[in-house]
Amino acid sequence: MTDRELFLQVENLKKYYKTSSGILGRKDNVVKAVDGISFKILKGETLGLVGESGCGKSTTGRTILHLQRPTDGKILFDGADITKLSSKALRSLRPQMQMIFQDPFATLNPRHSVGKIIAEPLVINGIYKRGSQILGDRVRTLMEMVGLNPSCANRFPHEFSGGQRQRIGIARALSLNPSFIVCDEPISSLDVSIQAQIVNLLFDLQEKMDLTYLFIAHDLSMVKHISHRIAVMYLGKLMEVTDKNSLFDDPIHPYTQSLCSAVPIPNPKLELARTQIILEGDPPNPSNPPKGCVFHTRCPLVKNICKEDEPALKELSEDHFVACHLAGEAGGSYIF
Amino acid sequence: MFWIRVEGERENEEIVMTAVLEVHDLVTKFYTLEGIVHAVNGVSFSVNKGEILAVVGESGSGKSVTMKSLLGLISSPPGKIESGKAIFNGSNELGDLLEYSPQQLRDIRGGDIGYVFQDPGSTLNPIMTVGEQIAETILRHQVVSREEAYKKTLNLLEKVGIADPVTRYKNYPFQFSGGMRQRVMIAIAIACEPQMIIADEPTTALDVTIQAQIIDLFKKFQKELNIAVIWITHDLGVVAGIADRVLVMYGGRIMETAPVNKLYENPTHPYTIGLLGSLPRLNEDGYKRLVGIKGVPLDASKEIKHCPFAARCDYAFERCWNEIPKLAEIDPEHKVSCFYRVEKGGSQYDR
Repeated sequence: MTDRELFLQVENLKKYYKTSSGILGRKDNVVKAVDGISFKILKGETLGLVGESGCGKSTTGRTILHLQRPTDGKILFDGADITKLSSKALRSLRPQMQMIFQDPFATLNPRHSVGKIIAEPLVINGIYKRGSQILGDRVRTLMEMVGLNPSCANRFPHEFSGGQRQRIGIARALSLNPSFIVCDEPISSLDVSIQAQIVNLLFDLQEKMDLTYLFIAHDLSMVKHISHRIAVMYLGKLMEVTDKNSLFDDPIHPYTQSLCSAVPIPNPKLELARTQIILEGDPPNPSNPPKGCVFHTRCPLVKNICKEDEPALKELSEDHFVACHLAGEAGGSYIF
Repeated sequence: MFWIRVEGERENEEIVMTAVLEVHDLVTKFYTLEGIVHAVNGVSFSVNKGEILAVVGESGSGKSVTMKSLLGLISSPPGKIESGKAIFNGSNELGDLLEYSPQQLRDIRGGDIGYVFQDPGSTLNPIMTVGEQIAETILRHQVVSREEAYKKTLNLLEKVGIADPVTRYKNYPFQFSGGMRQRVMIAIAIACEPQMIIADEPTTALDVTIQAQIIDLFKKFQKELNIAVIWITHDLGVVAGIADRVLVMYGGRIMETAPVNKLYENPTHPYTIGLLGSLPRLNEDGYKRLVGIKGVPLDASKEIKHCPFAARCDYAFERCWNEIPKLAEIDPEHKVSCFYRVEKGGSQYDR
């Protein structure tokens, strides 16, 4: 993994949203959806981004693709700084970075045939002319690549099941030969047996086309399965970033520890034998995050320093980043 | 009163257990404008006192419809319960739930049988305080004064882990987080000390850390009150941690039923094997391809006269396409409806 070259670098990325409240909306609140996160993705690897709902993982993905402009920070894509690019300059870059969305029901135009949906990016980017023979061929190749029958090109999205629709979404994302794909919870709305099919497909495509993925999900076991490295997010900040085996074998941040222990294991004997760390309470409201470490309100090991100072993401061992005051200290950050 | 003999797990001695609910050959169909939907096609099972029975299946497998049929929660039309029996051994009488009048069913729901739904956001009344909703259930089913109901409610709120119950009583559901709302739903379900709780994907909409809290809470009450729980889910990980026995459903039929350990150690139906193969294992190193199941789930709008799983099964042979398999015993606790297993002995699936 170490011989791969750097592909995407995110430095201190921030995305704030303004919301108004109070009489006539005169009071401005700021929701810090993503608050200063930094990570890198190597070429051809999958970085899993996990966290609970509302922690800002989807916003991170959308901000990297510039579907939303970042408030602050830097995004280096294949060596070039794309943070300040104009919309026009971005357009020429877009074919290289695509997205697969969570809900295959809401992201396909119900009035377009599947063939048209997959062809649209090619037409818009002026690669092939609408209605040309070569465009038809390309659409058929793409459909075969994702395991759809090319003879279905004239059908409409509602005629397909959830898993097949997700395949249509993947074919559309692949149409422009991208090098980077943000997968935003691509399997969470699918049945278990279909999830496995889609995950296998994503994995095969990565091998074949040397794709780089940012895989956003909340299902930790599936993320471990598909990712090379995993970043754990909580309330707009990164808690821990490391390769997948260290994350599960030696989770250092108390939040990661509790997250790993909360994932149900499909084996009754292991389930009964282990001790679960059950966190108390709910994640705080992102419009009013706690002072100091954002996790301190639920952390079983909380110390005074956690309530005052925000811990920085520091590299504890090679390629293992943790944001916790207690990590590496005497006493340590281990719950057990 | 009826008795079922069950092998005692600990010392292999026979212990006697009472079944709280026995369902026989339940068939539910929906007569829609687009045609008949065959949702439940002959389901039989029983739940014992103090037992957690997990019902596993993918969307459209009929697991929710089965349970809703029992409690008269199927809107009719378009739904219709075609046949079946559901003998419920309640606190004061023994009767067939499917024969009950709407009045009797109202007494049972929230009284002897509690129901926890998947989405606590849409099942709580948004314009009634949380406390009133719990107290309402108590007042409906028990002969108590308002004062007593209020006190009981505060007690329940505290029991399900909601801090500061006096203030929280007066809060509305929107002031609660998803996990807190599910705690309120649990408080409503256990308010009248039921014989049985049906939990319909109670943790599916929640984050993992909150899911762990809710499961923990459920287990605590289940032990404390010794109630039977039917836990509907699609998550085989959750099942492993909570269930005593498992029913695997597909296409409105039961494919396999076994005690939890047997099911995970010796899954026998190709569908169960496929479901388990679709799951990544946290404790496995290196990349292993998921096995998964080919094809797409069954379309319930067509009536089928063969094994519902045949089209997706790697082992389907002629008989699977001509007949519907019935549940057959492998051992007294483990039943499977598969011709391949029964006829060809297929104990070793070549996977």
